Amino acid sequence: MDFKTGIIGSGTSVGGDVDLLIAGGGPAALAAALYAARYGIDHVVIESYQPGGQAALTALIENYPGIMEIAGGDLAEKMKEQAEKWGGVFRMETVTSTTSREEDLVEVKTDSAVYNAKYLIIATGAAPAKLGVPGEDKFYGRGVSYCATCDAPFFKNKRVMVVGGGDSAVKESLHLADFASHLTVVHRRNKFRAEPYLGKKLLSCDNCDVMWNTTVKSIEGGDGVEAVVLNTPDGETRVEVDGVFVYVGRRPSTEPFRELVDLNPDGTVKTVNVVHTSRKNVLAAGDVTDNELRQVVTAVADGARAAAAVFDLMQQEGDV
Amino acid sequence: MAVKHIRGSEIASVTSPEGKLALVDFSAVWCAPCKMLDPVLKKVSDELGDKVDFFHVDVDESPEASSRFGIRGVPTMVIFHNGQEIDRLVGFRDKNSLKKHLENLVDSKLA
Repeated sequence: MDFKTGIIGSGTSVGGDVDLLIAGGGPAALAAALYAARYGIDHVVIESYQPGGQAALTALIENYPGIMEIAGGDLAEKMKEQAEKWGGVFRMETVTSTTSREEDLVEVKTDSAVYNAKYLIIATGAAPAKLGVPGEDKFYGRGVSYCATCDAPFFKNKRVMVVGGGDSAVKESLHLADFASHLTVVHRRNKFRAEPYLGKKLLSCDNCDVMWNTTVKSIEGGDGVEAVVLNTPDGETRVEVDGVFVYVGRRPSTEPFRELVDLNPDGTVKTVNVVHTSRKNVLAAGDVTDNELRQVVTAVADGARAAAAVFDLMQQEGDV
Repeated sequence: MAVKHIRGSEIASVTSPEGKLALVDFSAVWCAPCKMLDPVLKKVSDELGDKVDFFHVDVDESPEASSRFGIRGVPTMVIFHNGQEIDRLVGFRDKNSLKKHLENLVDSKLA
């Protein structure tokens, strides 16, 4: 089997043999692609789910070193352009399953091709977690949203609720506050988990209030969201709002890799030394891993480490 | 096949194609998932164009239509049969899941 010829076609999805397959399209995958391309590794990036990942849905990123502030989508586009400039190869397909019939080879099936990869980097990221309350699914797209960057303009001068207290919840609340007539943040704890700077900024927002130690019981409405029923320390209460934005964590997108590598009970990939998994030729990077800090800056660092680890392994095997 | 850009006022005239379904994608230029969905729609329209007509509506260009259809998030794909809404999908869909979803609707409505 000749892994050096790189038989991945340009244009149509043909699958085939490849040294490195990078699954995912977010910052971790894009950084892995950049480094793999610069190392001269024969590779392909399968942009499953949302290219740009969660970062592309972030209104404003202002903690990426060297860049004062940038829209998440713009940063993701620049990362992809940079990877392509160095020879990054991208395919828009969805990974559906992975197996390893041979110890040193991973078979990756997508919705339109089959690849045999000598190395795999799992960087499929995570999708927003749901609240799991009545009304959430019914009103999705009719007032319930998981993407303030996408949907905030629909709530100009309207009453909006954000559920959550982490970085994403607080950042996107600040974005939504510019549109909404009033913003209520509902958080199950008595303080934010977000960066203190972000929390202070939200607490000083004129048209915002925060309901601490409060959880959502249900979302109600007719054609669209009209109210949210909350469990507060003082009992149940109903708050009339036009929109509910949910930021209560993320679900790792690891289903296609369930049989390939060891996962944690929460679905994240078990890692050792940041990017190594239970299988020597499979690495993992970014939000899909069990590494605690989930930021763009840590995702790109993971991606770079994973590509470098592949390069080291290839050198050990005499493949480069 | 291609995804045709239309204004909101044209929706009624394009959602009753003979023997086909119609999909109207409400999207916006500032929406990242909408940009991601564009190539997916193009691919699916290439493969299902004989059974489904595909259209884009810009929510900023056609705010009245967005309001009329209760659009509160983008991208939202509204699917029509004989001029009546039969389904809607909110958010990004990969090619495989969108194609399967439409094929199921085609089977149930056009069989």
